[in-house]
Amino acid sequence: MPKWFMPLAGVNAVMFAAAPFLIARADYESTMGLVQKIFYFHMPSASMFLLSAVVCGIASARFLFGGSPRQDRLAYAAAELAVLFGAITLVTGPLWARKAWGVWWAWDVRLTSSLMGWMVAWAYLLVRKYGGPGSDKLAAGLALFGMANVPFVYISVNYWRTIHPKTSVVPTLPADMGTALWFSFACFLLLFTLLLRVRVHLEEQRAKLDTLYLSLDE
Amino acid sequence: MRTSLTYFLLLLVACAPLMAQQPQPAPPAATDEFVPISQLPAQDQLPAAPLLVTAYAFVWVALFGYLLSVGRRLTKVQREVDRLESDIARGTRT
Repeated sequence: MPKWFMPLAGVNAVMFAAAPFLIARADYESTMGLVQKIFYFHMPSASMFLLSAVVCGIASARFLFGGSPRQDRLAYAAAELAVLFGAITLVTGPLWARKAWGVWWAWDVRLTSSLMGWMVAWAYLLVRKYGGPGSDKLAAGLALFGMANVPFVYISVNYWRTIHPKTSVVPTLPADMGTALWFSFACFLLLFTLLLRVRVHLEEQRAKLDTLYLSLDE
Repeated sequence: MRTSLTYFLLLLVACAPLMAQQPQPAPPAATDEFVPISQLPAQDQLPAAPLLVTAYAFVWVALFGYLLSVGRRLTKVQREVDRLESDIARGTRT
């Protein structure tokens, strides 16, 4: 692991310990009250979910057209993170919706397209695990569809009728709400970078293991 | 002094209709029935705190669970790499 990894992991742990204090200090939203505070972890995890899908898609495209195993390892790592952050998004969202909307789930465009993106990430991992020889290229093709879904998820709230808050909410946040949100966002972004690095390292070690087994056979 | 007081009172009386025309804040409506909480819309009956705590608890559990899982997988692979490397080194020496 690189030298910067452990100090940055320490910084990230301190940031995550400080985040609840900033979130608690932020004003209550006028109509939703306390439950709106789920937003401060929901939105950053949703952003990391979309970022993972983009990283997975770009790395898969580079693997498909360039054939670099390094890009394949990056794509595999990013797909796993898409499943992790997607799960956080899809669990925290309904918990917030139950109070704010009166229902756990609504089949509107934002929620449905997010669920589809999450299922594509799961499909990627399942193909990689059980697909046999050639599954890396098949999964890379799936990742392209996962990435194509990302802009659709992002803009969906602005073009279709939905009860999900629009993207315009974030730039108009008052100072204390904005500080809590962007601090949480920085926490999640750093965590994403660290997890991606450690997960890529795991794939590198697996590749090394394969090489060692091959050299033993010879 | 008495004259100025008289003028002040006259002015006050003259302004009274104007002041009466100012919009007055409506008093809250008198309660004519009690509504049991069970008859409120579903989202108004729910306490927010358990939902908030569940959401944050899930985030922590998911992140720690993933960290543990990656850590365990990495340790396992690392051990096997070390074992194979030592086997190969021993094989080369003999």
